[in-house]
Amino acid sequence: MPNIKLQSSDGEIFEVDVEVARMSNTLRTMLDDLGIEEDDGEPIPVQNVNSAILRKVIQWATYHKNDPPTPEDDDAREKRTDDISSWDADFLKVDQGTLFEIILAANYLDIKGLLDVTCKTVANMIRGKTPEEIRKTFNIKNDFTPQEEEQIRRENEWCEEK
Amino acid sequence: MKSLTCLSSNSSSSSSSSSTSSSSNSGPMATKRPSLKAHNRIKQIFRSATNGGQTTNGDMTTSVNGNHSAKNGAYNKDHDYDQSLINRKLPKELLLRIFSYLDVITLCRCAQVSKSWNVLALDGSNWQSVDLFDFQTEIEGRVVENLSKRCGGFLRRLSLRGCKCITDAALKTFAQNCNNIEALNLFDCKQITDATCVQLSHYCHELLRLNLGSCIEITDLSLIALSVGCVNLEHLNISYCDKITKNGIEKLAMGCHNLSAFISKMCTNVNDEAIGYLSQNCKLLRTVNLHGCHQITDEAIQNLASNCLNLRYLCVSNCTNLTDQSLISLGQQCHQLVTLEVSGCNQLTDNGFQRLARNCHSLEKLDLEECILITDNSLSHLANGCPLLQNLSLSHCELITDEGIRHIGTSSGSSEHLQVLELDNCPLITDSSLDHLISCYNLRRIELYDCQLITKSGIRRLRYHLPNLKVHAYFAPATPPPSITPRTRYCRCCIIL
Repeated sequence: MPNIKLQSSDGEIFEVDVEVARMSNTLRTMLDDLGIEEDDGEPIPVQNVNSAILRKVIQWATYHKNDPPTPEDDDAREKRTDDISSWDADFLKVDQGTLFEIILAANYLDIKGLLDVTCKTVANMIRGKTPEEIRKTFNIKNDFTPQEEEQIRRENEWCEEK
Repeated sequence: MKSLTCLSSNSSSSSSSSSTSSSSNSGPMATKRPSLKAHNRIKQIFRSATNGGQTTNGDMTTSVNGNHSAKNGAYNKDHDYDQSLINRKLPKELLLRIFSYLDVITLCRCAQVSKSWNVLALDGSNWQSVDLFDFQTEIEGRVVENLSKRCGGFLRRLSLRGCKCITDAALKTFAQNCNNIEALNLFDCKQITDATCVQLSHYCHELLRLNLGSCIEITDLSLIALSVGCVNLEHLNISYCDKITKNGIEKLAMGCHNLSAFISKMCTNVNDEAIGYLSQNCKLLRTVNLHGCHQITDEAIQNLASNCLNLRYLCVSNCTNLTDQSLISLGQQCHQLVTLEVSGCNQLTDNGFQRLARNCHSLEKLDLEECILITDNSLSHLANGCPLLQNLSLSHCELITDEGIRHIGTSSGSSEHLQVLELDNCPLITDSSLDHLISCYNLRRIELYDCQLITKSGIRRLRYHLPNLKVHAYFAPATPPPSITPRTRYCRCCIIL
C-alpha cells in the first residue's frame, strides 16, 4: 500500500497508508482533486491539528480502516450512545482537552466515525447528572441570577417528575 | 429567543460533512492542477481553513465559522471569558451535535447549567423527534403541554405510546403548538377521545402518520375530522378501536387519498362496505391489516385486489369467512404481494394457494397457521411459484407430511432464502422432513413443538448441517420413576405433642 506524508501544525511529519488518510473526507477529496496517489516527496500540511492529536487520529483511523462505511445522518434514526466499542472506549480515556481536540480534528478532517464516537463519549459524560454535577464536570460557571435560575428550574422540572 | 432558535437549527442542519465537500467543488479551487503545484494549493486550502471566518474565499469554513458569526451577542461575549474548556474549544455546531445524543430529561437539565447551555439545550434541532415511551404510565398531561410549548413548530415526530394518563386537554395544547407534526403515536392512550382528532384536524395539516391503536374511545367522528383536516395522511392505525364503523371509514377514504397503510386489527365493525370505500378511493394502499375483522368476506378482498394493485402486505388472519375466492383475486391482481397472513382462515384449500402461487412470485412471508385444509399440494405449488419465500408458518396445518416439506426444502430458492419455518403441531411430519432441509443454509429458526414423530437425533442431524439454527422443540421428560420410599407424612401437631 502506498504511503503519503502528513505534516502536523507543529511541523512533525507522519507517514501514513493512503487508505488510512482517505478515511478523512477532507483529505480524500483533496487527494482526488489533486490527483495524488502516492507520496511525491512533499508532506501535506494539516495545519489545524497538532502532532499529539494527529497521532491519535491516525491511530484511530488505522484501527478502523476496514470498517464498513458509516451511514449518512438520518434524523429518524435512533440516537444510541451505548454502542461504543471497548477499543474506542479505551482509546478515548484521555483528558477533556485532548478529547475536545480530537472532536475538532475529526470535524475538520471530516471523519464521521470518529466524530460520532467522540461526541457520544461527551454525551455520556453529561447524561445522568444534575445541572450542578454537569457544571462541575466541565467547569462551567453558573451565570444565572438566583431569580433566573429559579425560573429556569421551574420551566424544566416537568421532566423530572416521572 | 425564538428567532435565535430558528437560526441555529438551520445552520446545524448543514453541518460539518457538507463543509468539506463544498470546498473541492466551488470557487477557484475547483480547477484541477498538475501535481507540481498541488502542495501550494493544499497549503492555501488549509491556511484559509485555519484563518476561519476572516477569509473571504474559503468556502470550506462556512460551516464551523459561519456559526460563530451567527451566534447571538450574549454567547459571544461570554465566550471570551469562559473558563470551561468545552465551551472554549468546541463551536456551537459541535456542541449541538453532542446534544443530539441526549434524551429529553438530560436536555432539560442542560438547560439549567448556564445561559449559553440554556440556548443550546433549547435549540429546535434537539426537539424534532421525541419519544416518551420510557415515561409511559406516569407521564402527566402537563409534561406533554410543556413539551409542546418548548418544541413548537420544530416537533415532527412524537411518540406517546403507552402514556395512559394523557387526556384530550394535553393533546389540545399539543395540536395548537406543534403544527408541523408529521408522525404521532398515541397507541394505548386510552383516555383520548374524538376531541383530540378534531384538534389535530384543525391545526396539524402536515400529519402523515397517526397511530390510534387501542384508543378505545375513538369513534367515526375522529375519522371524519381527519378526512377534513389531515388529508395528507399516509399511515393510519386504528387497531382495537372497536367503535369505528363503515361510516367513518367512508369519510376517511373520501378525504385521504394518499393513504398507503391502513391497519385496523380487531375492528369488528369493519365490513365489506368499509373496505369497498377504501379500495375505490385509496388506490395507493400498500399495507392493509384486517386481522380479526371477522365480518369481511371475499367481496372485500376482491375489491381490494382489483383496485389496489400496489398491495405489498395483507393480513386477514382470523377473517374466517374468507374462501379460496380471496386467494384467487389476489393471485389475479396483486402480483407485488410480499407478505400474506391468513392465519386461522380455515376455509382456504390447496386450490386457492395454487392460484395464488401461480402469479404472486414476490411472496416472502406467508402465515398459514391453522389453515387446516391445506395439504402437501399447497406446498408443492408454493415451492414452485414463490422462490423468494423467507418465512413460512404451517403451525397446526395437520395434513402436512414429509412430502410437503420436501417440496419446500428442495425448491430452487429455499437454500438461499428460507429463514424461518414453523411446523409446530404438524403431527405427521417426521425426521425425514428435517433431512429435506439440510441445504437451507440460511434457515435461522425452526419450530417443532408438539411434532410427536420428531426425535432428538433427527434434530441433531439437522443441526450438524446448520449449526446456527435455532430449534424450538420440547421433549417431555421420561415418566419419572415412582419414588422408592413414599414419604411418610406426619401430622405436625402430633409431633409437637
